[in-house]
Amino acid sequence: MEPFSSELRPRLRARARLQIDKVTGKPALLYPEGVLMLNPTGHAIVSLCGGELTLAEIVASLAERYKVATGQISGEVEEYLNRLRRLNLIELVDLGEGKK
Amino acid sequence: MSRPVQRLYGLLAELTHRCPLHCPYCSNPTALTPRGSELETGEWKRVIEEAAELGVLHVGFSGGEPLQRADLTELVATARQAGLYTNLITSSLGLNDRRVEALKQAGLDSVQISLQSDESTLADRIAGTSAHLRKLDAARLVREAGFPLTINVVLHRENIERLPHLIALAEQLGAERLELANTQYYGWAFKNRTWLLPSRTQIEEASRVADSAKKRLLGKMEVLFVLPDYFSQRPKPCMNGWGRRLLTVNPAGEVLPCPTAKEIGSLRFDSVREKSLRWIWEESDAFNRFRGTEWMPEPCRSCEFREIDFGGCRCQAALITGDASVTDPACSFSPHREKLTQFVELKEREALQRDGNSFVFRAG
Repeated sequence: MEPFSSELRPRLRARARLQIDKVTGKPALLYPEGVLMLNPTGHAIVSLCGGELTLAEIVASLAERYKVATGQISGEVEEYLNRLRRLNLIELVDLGEGKK
Repeated sequence: MSRPVQRLYGLLAELTHRCPLHCPYCSNPTALTPRGSELETGEWKRVIEEAAELGVLHVGFSGGEPLQRADLTELVATARQAGLYTNLITSSLGLNDRRVEALKQAGLDSVQISLQSDESTLADRIAGTSAHLRKLDAARLVREAGFPLTINVVLHRENIERLPHLIALAEQLGAERLELANTQYYGWAFKNRTWLLPSRTQIEEASRVADSAKKRLLGKMEVLFVLPDYFSQRPKPCMNGWGRRLLTVNPAGEVLPCPTAKEIGSLRFDSVREKSLRWIWEESDAFNRFRGTEWMPEPCRSCEFREIDFGGCRCQAALITGDASVTDPACSFSPHREKLTQFVELKEREALQRDGNSFVFRAG
């Protein structure tokens, strides 16, 4: 897969839909033939994947929110996003494209 | 050993058995439901709403050809309003600008189109009608409307060698998921298995092609390759377990633990016309018969894989052994495994003889 860069922004693909599951009250990522029940940090990460922020900006935003150093979480966030990319739920887009 | 009722996640709504295609491996039962017996719009709406109440997150609108129902858009809208993820599973025949737009407005999430091959001569021969070029047009309409597209191809001896071309076509159409599903041999396909079953060599080559595509397309297109049971050592975890995650409602309103369960003559299925979906899921005999692990005979009962494959497929057990409650004969631990292996070997010998014959009869 293409590496993350300062040009590319993670965006939730159109095939995936994030909603609150009525039974558990937890966030669920729905896609064809599958569902991922997200934990609070997963939910926070996915919520920032609108195609406007780079990986570094997503990490910075989370670090501020959870009061931790960016270095402490950047590896984890990147791996989480890569897992979603392998499931074809996140794509990387150019800034112009992300604003569509 | 328990029979726990778990949360229902997915509903397959088989709206109709009517279909413009005539594929020889069709997953519909060999006894088709006539149009006059189909559930009406109001009945389907109630089924969808009851499913959402039970916790269902996904609904697949299937058939037959679901576009044959004039109320499809209305049913999609009902499902979407109930918070379900909606997938249209279609041949795409009957899809035009107007219907694509209406489905978009109704909130349809995703479209899955079946292809029979990558080129029209073979594809149309398998479909039994002139369909391929219309399907390609429909796939483009679907993409232009911004729907995520899944391409599904049922593989068998006649088209499995087209795999590299099929993958290229799915990429060209902008599919985000490609299901390469080897034929499952029940119903129509079982009747035609002599004609459909690929050779071992074909399967091995196809597995290699699919594996390399899977790696190359990682993050772009999800590639799913399902090995046919006849060549596998482990049975598939059919429906992720009987009555565990999914159910099917057929056109007449009968509720089935799997789409082919009607082939099991020893089971009686309750209808949404008489009972609530919740009662059928939680209480009915058909759903409880093979739920959990309590029903299992040996070798399943003491097997370390019993919570992984759930004893495999009940329909295949019934079809091959006459008893739906035994271990799936696809399992290498099944005492009936030989029946599948022998069929594969018979086909291999016949193929060799065919080559020999052409040599013998060469001189005129």
